[in-house]
Amino acid sequence: MALTTVDSAGDSTLKRASPTPRSLNASIIFSTALALRIALFQFPALTTLLAGRVEISTPITSFKRCTPTSRPLLVNLLYVACDLLIGYMLSQITVLKDKDSAKALKIRQFGDRIEEPGMDGLKVATFYLFNPYTIASCIGRSTILYSNMAVVAGIWMGMKGNKGLAMFSVAAAAYLSLYPAMLIVPVVLLLARNDTVQDQKKKMALQCVTIFTGSLASLFLLSYVLVGSWDFFSSVYGTILMVSDLTPNLGLFWYFFIEMFDQFRPFFILVFQIHVFIFAAPISIKLRNHPLFVAFLLCTVMGTFKGYPSFGDASLYLGLLPLCSEIFKYMRYTFLIVNLFLYSSLLAPIFWYLWVYVGSGNANFFYAIGLVYGIGEIILMIDTTYALARRDFEAQSPPETSGEDPSLGWDREVIQK
Amino acid sequence: MMDEEHFDGAASNLFKHYNLFPRSIGQILHSFDVEELHLTFTQGRWHYGDWGYPIAPSAGTGVELWAWLNGDNNRVKANWKGLTNTLSGLFCASLNFIDDTITIEPKLSFRHEGLYNVHSQSSPSAQQSFNTDTNSTTASPKRLRYGSLPHENVCTENLTPWIKLLPCKSKAGIASLLKSHKLFDTRFYSMAIHIRPVCEDEHCKVKSLELVQTITTVFDVARKDGSFNWSISELFERDITQACPLATTSKVILHLPQTTQFAHQYELVPFPPQGIQTVGSTAETRQEIAVYDLKALFSGTRADSPFQLSMHWRDSRPKSVRAVSPGIVAHRYFTGYGQERGGLAIEIQNNNAQDVEAIYLDTLPWYLKLYLHTFSIELDGKTLDNHRDLVKKMFYQPAVDRARPAVLELALVLPARSMVKFAVSFDKVFLKYTEHPPDANRGFDVGCAVITALLPRERGQIGYGALDHLRIYQEREANLVQSARLEAVAEARENEQDKIRVYTETLLVSLPTPDFSMPYNVITLTCTVIALFFGSMFNLMTRNFEVVEQTKLKEDKGKGKKEDATK
Repeated sequence: MALTTVDSAGDSTLKRASPTPRSLNASIIFSTALALRIALFQFPALTTLLAGRVEISTPITSFKRCTPTSRPLLVNLLYVACDLLIGYMLSQITVLKDKDSAKALKIRQFGDRIEEPGMDGLKVATFYLFNPYTIASCIGRSTILYSNMAVVAGIWMGMKGNKGLAMFSVAAAAYLSLYPAMLIVPVVLLLARNDTVQDQKKKMALQCVTIFTGSLASLFLLSYVLVGSWDFFSSVYGTILMVSDLTPNLGLFWYFFIEMFDQFRPFFILVFQIHVFIFAAPISIKLRNHPLFVAFLLCTVMGTFKGYPSFGDASLYLGLLPLCSEIFKYMRYTFLIVNLFLYSSLLAPIFWYLWVYVGSGNANFFYAIGLVYGIGEIILMIDTTYALARRDFEAQSPPETSGEDPSLGWDREVIQK
Repeated sequence: MMDEEHFDGAASNLFKHYNLFPRSIGQILHSFDVEELHLTFTQGRWHYGDWGYPIAPSAGTGVELWAWLNGDNNRVKANWKGLTNTLSGLFCASLNFIDDTITIEPKLSFRHEGLYNVHSQSSPSAQQSFNTDTNSTTASPKRLRYGSLPHENVCTENLTPWIKLLPCKSKAGIASLLKSHKLFDTRFYSMAIHIRPVCEDEHCKVKSLELVQTITTVFDVARKDGSFNWSISELFERDITQACPLATTSKVILHLPQTTQFAHQYELVPFPPQGIQTVGSTAETRQEIAVYDLKALFSGTRADSPFQLSMHWRDSRPKSVRAVSPGIVAHRYFTGYGQERGGLAIEIQNNNAQDVEAIYLDTLPWYLKLYLHTFSIELDGKTLDNHRDLVKKMFYQPAVDRARPAVLELALVLPARSMVKFAVSFDKVFLKYTEHPPDANRGFDVGCAVITALLPRERGQIGYGALDHLRIYQEREANLVQSARLEAVAEARENEQDKIRVYTETLLVSLPTPDFSMPYNVITLTCTVIALFFGSMFNLMTRNFEVVEQTKLKEDKGKGKKEDATK
């Protein structure tokens, strides 16, 4: 089977040749996003409402549980700025990725036509900035935003090849919410993606791990100096790992551990936490050529199976998803996924109200919605992974088109073996 | 109309001489190194607005235990655990449930009451003010522990061990009136034991322990037939047939009703042998009392007939009884709705004509997460921005999940004739299903808050100094009543001030409940969802794609057709 490479670099440079309308568009998008957020912050009732929602604020990320500040305006601006920065970084990541893919193997389909390019940076940023989940957790002042920012910064620096900052960002994210520690693998993959020599890769990985450990240790030391004791360790990471706060959220842990028999509790906590981390290894090995996708998938795994997930986690992985937009046409359950997300997001507040305020429902109502949301996330992960593998297969073994039926393109029948 | 009977079965003696002092208590104090112990069982709620202040210290609904223990923190922790468990066995109460999650160590309230400590300080009033530094004057470290069980029901099984501590049990003396059927059929019932060290001489070289047992009940005499007439035998369905031979004094003291306009509305049968006496130095605080000395009565000519006492009202009801106006009244209630979050509001009314210093102590269980930044103060309905004028000191201990409760202690200055209102909001915690009580939807009891204040004495009211106050009436000549004690009492009497504790209402909070029938379903469903992900991901990670050959497809179809044909 002959591999055919079609260079599309000329095409993409042609597209990027007109910077003026693009920067104009960018300024329109970002200023609209800014205006929208500032306008929404003008309603303190909305801020309080969103900050009190269990879907947005978890015990770990709730703004109310932090020390209250006397300058709400500055804090609000900080949240808006962080959100816009994430949008900007996502668009920059897309630009870098487009440069990469210009060199990559192109997929031939429908005869000799080549694959259409994915979303451009501005679209990716728009997708993030105008995602209702993003806006809700920004207005609700969920502190997950800072963790998200560190994650995206880590990926961006990984794409740019800046070892130090990339590792520091990942360490900061891990420091803020522990689980992003596993993102060290995709970011190292990103940093090493252009190294061809095996030894260089190993050296790079070793350096990265050292920088990561060093940054994390210095962050802990800094908190020790500020707090004056190591108590924060058990109160922050103990709460994350032991899931001692059973306030409901859209995750799978809270009701499980409310209802769990006492003697099995440690066992299941161990199993569930290992289950979150364990996917970092197989996914990174199998999909090592797609580090961006690995980052997305691991973020989704975190957002689904962590102890205290919120819409803020969804805003992160839904923001990273368009970075791999070229796989969208291989997805089979897009409609189902969209519906599951819509269904659970709309019904969760209603069922919560029925249980906690009206009393005509019980805990099972909200738990069921959490399950539906979880299933939505799981199908999203499965379907995107399938789509990526399918596209990979398409690139590796393109259909024989000369003289054959053109319908044997990307939608040809395949089986997994 | 109400009637309060106060029984002071005080039995004081030197430690380890168990002829009067109950051996069980002595051994407990000895083995757990307890300096001072106060245990109160209460059923019902004291209505301060209607009844004034109780004569004997009575606590909020449920059981209240506080003690000063000797030793360092670790030893005190172990001893406190032992103490609660042992007392639990002794009094047949659930005192063993006072564990770390509800035990607190107040910093401002519940100071030493032992006269030994009063004496050892430069001035007795220093101990009553907001001086937190009481430990520094004594050599060995002492630690305070306080715990309360608001949901504890007090009943016969608690009364019996209490009676057993008395030297004459319920065989003789006032204690023979204690019939549980009648005692627990009242509007308020409270019984307590108070143990404290006292000095025998001026320089406090000889110390002894004092045990005070009190029972306070409020009878509603008009409940049965609308008549306000009462007699001891009707109220208790028992009679006093003899005085306790072991007692030094045995007296029934009656506070006579304060009627404003109409004199001689009632008749006392029998009339007290020494006539009506008055106590209190000023016109404002003057109080008429009738004293019946049982020792004298039973040693006289009427030794064989039981002691009878009754009061008859003209027209069966009193007219123009002076209303009591307690100096400080406090109420506490929950605000908000729903099972997610709520608020706590405390109203403290100061009816005095002068500013009053008071200490507010509130213990909230860990499953109510307080947000101190929502703390606000209103004075007479106006929100104050500056708390400094009212709150002189603030001590707040945040709760730790499943380990310790939240404690809020405030040293307040309550302006004259004012209403101070605090509000603070909290989140309700979602508990594991095993942490809910069997009647989960009833909710959790939250213990009362305590306000400690020095109040000017008012007519018809004897506040917390009452125990000492009563001793003066009794003119006890026992050699135990020493000069140091009298000095302290005399000083309090001169100031005409009483240290009182006002207990607020016990609250009931309903927490969100899970579905208790669901454990297996939840485990199954959650694990299914997780397995769905794990299985699919495993599948995707381990298998590769392969094109379904067109020819193979055709072959398969052909085969199927053939098979169909053979069938």
